[in-house]
Amino acid sequence: MTIDLNPLSEAVIKGNIQAATQETQKALDGGGDPQTILDQGLIAAMDIVGQRFAAGAMFVPQMLRSAKTMQACVALLKPAFQAGTVSSKGTVVMGTVKADLHDIGKNLVAMMLEGAGFTIIDMGVDVLPEAFVQTVSEKSPEILGMSALLSTTMPAMKATIDALKDAGLRDKVKVMIGGAPVTAKFAGEIGADRYAPDAGSAVAAAKELLQTS
Amino acid sequence: MKHPRNNKNKKKWKKRPYQVHPQARDRKTTRLNILPADRWIKVKRGVILLEALQKAGIDLESECGGLGTCGKCKVRIITAIGPPDEQEKALLSPEALEHGERLACRIRIKKSMVVYTDLAPSELEMVQILKYGQTPEVDLDPLIEKYPVQVTPPSIEHAESDFYRLRAAMGAPYSQMRITTRCLRSLYRKLRRNDFKGDAVIHRNCLLALEPPGSIRGRYGIVFDIGTTTLVGKLIDISEGVEISVISRLNSQFRYGSNVINRIQYVREKKQGQKRMREILIRDLNLITRRLLEANGLTPDDVFIAVAAGNTTMQHFLLGLDPSGIAEAPFSPVITEGVTFRTAELGLEFHPDAMLYVMPARSGYIGGDLISFILASGAAEENEKMILGLDFGTNGEIFLGNRHRMLTCSAAAGPALEGARISRGMIARAGAIESVRVEDNHLQYRVIGNIKAKGLCGSGLVDLVAVLLHYGVIDREGFLGPDQIQEEGDLFHSRVRPRRDAPVYDFVVAEPGESLDGQPILLTQKDVRELQLAKGAIAAGVKILMQQMGVTAEDVDILYLAGALGNYVNPYSAMRIGLLPITAAEKIISLGNAASAGARMALLSKSHWTKAVALAEQIEHFELSVQPEFEEAFVESMDFPSRNLW
Repeated sequence: MTIDLNPLSEAVIKGNIQAATQETQKALDGGGDPQTILDQGLIAAMDIVGQRFAAGAMFVPQMLRSAKTMQACVALLKPAFQAGTVSSKGTVVMGTVKADLHDIGKNLVAMMLEGAGFTIIDMGVDVLPEAFVQTVSEKSPEILGMSALLSTTMPAMKATIDALKDAGLRDKVKVMIGGAPVTAKFAGEIGADRYAPDAGSAVAAAKELLQTS
Repeated sequence: MKHPRNNKNKKKWKKRPYQVHPQARDRKTTRLNILPADRWIKVKRGVILLEALQKAGIDLESECGGLGTCGKCKVRIITAIGPPDEQEKALLSPEALEHGERLACRIRIKKSMVVYTDLAPSELEMVQILKYGQTPEVDLDPLIEKYPVQVTPPSIEHAESDFYRLRAAMGAPYSQMRITTRCLRSLYRKLRRNDFKGDAVIHRNCLLALEPPGSIRGRYGIVFDIGTTTLVGKLIDISEGVEISVISRLNSQFRYGSNVINRIQYVREKKQGQKRMREILIRDLNLITRRLLEANGLTPDDVFIAVAAGNTTMQHFLLGLDPSGIAEAPFSPVITEGVTFRTAELGLEFHPDAMLYVMPARSGYIGGDLISFILASGAAEENEKMILGLDFGTNGEIFLGNRHRMLTCSAAAGPALEGARISRGMIARAGAIESVRVEDNHLQYRVIGNIKAKGLCGSGLVDLVAVLLHYGVIDREGFLGPDQIQEEGDLFHSRVRPRRDAPVYDFVVAEPGESLDGQPILLTQKDVRELQLAKGAIAAGVKILMQQMGVTAEDVDILYLAGALGNYVNPYSAMRIGLLPITAAEKIISLGNAASAGARMALLSKSHWTKAVALAEQIEHFELSVQPEFEEAFVESMDFPSRNLW
């Protein structure tokens, strides 16, 4: 039996929590496979949200609403999964770098990555290079994501990458960076693996880094 | 006879044929031929072209400070050069690249080349800046006093010193008066030349000069508004309290970045950066001073007092202080106190014993300009009314309150309202569309300077988006497209065009034939997003202060606006897009150049200076980035209001 997941995707894209949770419940009641609902209903919808955001066709409030809608639906799916059967696309450690208190952009990226099926460890703002290194060594994430909103705090990204090298961890984790003054060229110069200009592109970049879909 | 050094310079700049310099054989250095000025400069191989041009004093616009994100430092490379990098490809059109246009900040000089720099001629002094601030009445008690004195000539009965008799003549309040070395050295001569009469020029109980009776010396003072983008100088007649002349110019530091963060980064990266920033600013201020004085037949020696107000970073540059602390958490500056310096120590050209007052600040982002704004508004003396003040800039500075409690914050609005990060954005100078409206079923716009349009400045952008919201071209979420255009907005259908590279639309403000460069002036979807961020941050800052104060927009009795945008923006358009809280238009008052208005008050009255110092200590400052409610308020404020006031 196939269940039509399009109405669910539509509801997530529109950020209609009520309709989306109803559709999720309907799909579950109709015997849908939770993993399929997650992948083809929710994550597929968030992919579209990310693409539209990157193009400018959707904006922050709408993207947040979609992410919240997705979270509500995931909460409904959780009991249906056997312990451990929800597959994570990978773990991402994230934070805003030392001496930078800008939170919002980093939070958006975290939400979008979560929506795409990644596990997020959010270290908050003003994160010292040593703290990043420690968390990377303890949690062995696939990706480290760093954000900086000021051209004066960008050098802390390089300091963190250098600290990873010193700790012998650099080849164990992919590094992604972003933030208003950050560029792809800067990412290349400091030895980061990827630059993402916005929260929508960050998802595509993370998937590319890990070669998952 | 000419100085030999001048000759040498002249020789260096001599016109040469259009080719590589014959002497460029040195391996470490190479030469640039800069057109259309036809200057040859020697540069180290490996330096960035933008930096080399800046060092040579060539003003290229650069908002991002060389990060390669603003796309404004365009030059044309005439000699052969390698392929453009990703950022150049992203920021320059294929046609522009074809013509050899490149970004100077992306190019590392490897060999000698010919560069054409005049793609966007800079017009330093053709800027529309608000010069006339509202000037409240002030009881005159200026920072510099001028007194006529009649000193008793020495005699056998009165053989006391000249200085003793001078003090005696001035009476009890001056019995402890001090005197500068310079003034003392000329005292003997000056007293005798003018029959023991004269005008004493006094600063804080110290005699700076004794001038001939009725001299204009000491009669004038200057106030500076030191903005990140523009500098304004005003000549004030202290004896009458009136404004005589005003001059403004663009801040030449703009070539090191359009915002303070980029300039601070420059200071941190370059060994001579701090010195250079100070020198550039002092040079600009001296130019302004000279022109103000020349226009009124005065000389620098005639002026003994100046007051400066700027944001905290600019005040640091003025004093030659390291502003690095302001650019990263916890945003701690070197000094916020109101200070007094001898102008000569700072390199400002006035009388050698003249004094400069620098307005007190509150924090790294609540500067002397906001304190001056509060002072000029009189809000701190208001007993009952609730007063809101907004100064739009890259950081939107906000105050709310009255005598009982005064709250301030600085919202990181970004530069969209000043035209940066907007694809066809520009500051308010000749060629900028400054207002937009619909009349007789046509989209009408007004261009500064009555020339063909070059781009949109802040007030034009706000107007345009308000109009497009009204006709449904932009919806309340900020989506620009043809689907929801209202019936009466038919005229817009032909102007909304799909983009080839993304599922979004552009709005054509001016067709190629209407624009100065023959390229259409478009408002892109991304431009709307930038504006949403800017107005969202300011609206969120206002919201947070209102929550802290426990008031709503209805409780605000007066809304003061400061700065050029505050003066030129249509308040209805600003309310329509949510940049201003919705309030009755008669409550909105533009104070104009409030920073210089406040500095003028301090110049004319010691008690206002004292008030400013007290104000800086008393006001409460909210650092928005650590307020947990800010993020929510910011996101909420990004959408446009659905309420239509029109």
